[in-house]
Amino acid sequence: MSTLASEYSNEVTHDVIEHRFNPYSDNGGTILGIAGEDFAVLAGDTRHTTGYSINSRYEPKVFNIGDDLLLTANGFQADGTALIKNFKNQLIQYHFNNDNKKMSIESSARLIQHLLYGKRFFPYYVHTILAGLDSEGKGSIYSFDPVGSYEREQCRAGGAAASLIMPFLDNQVNFKNQLDPETGNKKQLKYLKLEEVVELVRDAFSSATERHIHVGDGLEILIVTKEGVRTEYYPLKRD
Amino acid sequence: MVGLSFDNYQRNQFLTQNGHNAPKATSTGTTIVGCKFKDGVVIAADTRATSGPIVADKNCEKLHRLAPKIWCAGAGTAADTEMVTQLISSNLELHSLSLNRQPRVISALQMLKQHLFKYQGHIGAYLIVAGVDSVGSHLFSIHAHGSTDIGYYQSLGSGSLAAMAVLERDWKQDMTREEAIKLCSNAIEAGIWNDLGSGSNVDICVMECGKDAQLYRNYLTPNIRETKAKSYKFKRGTTDVLKTSIYNLCEVNEDVTMVD
Amino acid sequence: MVGKDCVAIACDLRLGSQSLGVSNNFEKVFQYGHVFMGLTGLASDVLTVHENFRMKTNLYKMREEREIEPESMANLVSTSLYEKRFGPWFVGPIVAGINSKSGKPFVCAFDFIGCIDYAKDFVVSGTAADQLYGMCEGLYEPNLEPEDLFETISQALLNAADRDALSGWGAVVYVITKDKVTKRYLKSRQD
Repeated sequence: MSTLASEYSNEVTHDVIEHRFNPYSDNGGTILGIAGEDFAVLAGDTRHTTGYSINSRYEPKVFNIGDDLLLTANGFQADGTALIKNFKNQLIQYHFNNDNKKMSIESSARLIQHLLYGKRFFPYYVHTILAGLDSEGKGSIYSFDPVGSYEREQCRAGGAAASLIMPFLDNQVNFKNQLDPETGNKKQLKYLKLEEVVELVRDAFSSATERHIHVGDGLEILIVTKEGVRTEYYPLKRD
Repeated sequence: MVGLSFDNYQRNQFLTQNGHNAPKATSTGTTIVGCKFKDGVVIAADTRATSGPIVADKNCEKLHRLAPKIWCAGAGTAADTEMVTQLISSNLELHSLSLNRQPRVISALQMLKQHLFKYQGHIGAYLIVAGVDSVGSHLFSIHAHGSTDIGYYQSLGSGSLAAMAVLERDWKQDMTREEAIKLCSNAIEAGIWNDLGSGSNVDICVMECGKDAQLYRNYLTPNIRETKAKSYKFKRGTTDVLKTSIYNLCEVNEDVTMVD
Repeated sequence: MVGKDCVAIACDLRLGSQSLGVSNNFEKVFQYGHVFMGLTGLASDVLTVHENFRMKTNLYKMREEREIEPESMANLVSTSLYEKRFGPWFVGPIVAGINSKSGKPFVCAFDFIGCIDYAKDFVVSGTAADQLYGMCEGLYEPNLEPEDLFETISQALLNAADRDALSGWGAVVYVITKDKVTKRYLKSRQD
């Protein structure tokens, strides 16, 4: 085929026009889990954002998913709710197949790993934290990366302000870098009382609210003990 | 040295291409507004400065003085709004000294826009200029590329939509001083609550014909942090110290005695 | 960080090229008369900018026949950085000191093109800035005595640095009162 000479022929380019759709967005917010001796808390702020806008001032993201387990998936909210819904359905199946046996936190953690890794090449864009009591009744926190790598920990912060809260937790929960002035040795580790933990969580979130624009509005703390699950709500700054 | 220096420009271009990322500049994020009233003009701003999603300064000053009765609210790159404002303020003073007259708002406007246009938008300053002079009260806005607008009410910055919603709803002709202040603080508050780039306090400046300009720094402070649940004061001796040295601060005098 | 009639300024000691640690005795806090400045960022610029300010403060001292005050230092830093608006130094300075006339503590921080962030409590800078904001916002309280301020700033720095891969490898803390400076080297994780 012959090409018609044109004034603009030298300007004709053959770049492929690419159209891209980005399936992910970031809905801000931050989450925090701390395990105590016979309890575990899982807290999250209730602000839901995109960019510089607030979509909701009260959009809970920490859920009591049954069997005395708490689950939250922070990051892209649609993926978070999808994951939790998915987990709940799996739990119903589990109950049906196992004569209503309670799912242990160890099994739940492994199940979540598989749910996350199942989407290895189109991941759930979330940082997941699972809280509950282990088989001995000790408080337990499991945290997951977006594709299912997980670990049991004493405490973990996730989401937008994780980098602000995590060192604070190292210092105040695990007494990192602290000496005991009387003995000059490392400060002895001890389990914190529930009231202390709640105070710590509130201060961690009010600090994060001061310095991170995606954190604020409200703080919802879910506490699991052997008596069951209880929820506390504290307002945070709304600016 | 005169003017801005481009010495490191090429080096930085190389550096950023080779994986070193440039540090983040502080942005004002910002809601700023201005509104004319019967015999004057008022401008207002929030006080949050951000660096990405982090709040760098919780109580910064975004209201700048160009001349005693000409003030300016700045949004955009924080360093640019501060410096361009200081520069024009100096030039305006020299200008008024040489003319032996009080500076006029249009002079400030013209100097700012010509400066910003010269830099083709690379100086990221978005300003609301207001003031009173021999002719009356004025309110303008300037964009980083050098374009300007005139109006009875203006809003700029990331919270400008929230603020403009309030201005459009409540503005009316020939308001009193108090009504205008209320309107502006409401508009800023809309930005504070609904825009994540804006927050903390409201600053206001009122310029009335025939009167001195009045700055109300922290006119509203609706975001004072509640006291913490716990004190985090450490016992002395908590931190492990390797080596301590103590020395006094003193000024060294070097006197030279002439010996013949 | 500001305390009761005192200020403290601290830095880690790591010098690195990306993830590779190069030196563990690279101090980032410098002294000009009774004013202290911390510089984070590109190491070559840290040194160049420091030498530059050493010259400028010395010239200032000769011209004014007195040491520079922290407030003036802040403006000097700001204008010097902005001069290079379109070819900036990659540094994040912090200025701390006590005004020798009024005895008022002063701290402020800058972005790399010279925007001043005046604060009445604390300022932070560097790769661990996020972590430091979290720590300081959590631990800080006003009117700490010099000894207590030392504990607070040290704990803030140490724990923040431990959560940042590019910070750590030792730390130095200066606690500055009206006429006395206490410099302490801290024991910290070496990984």
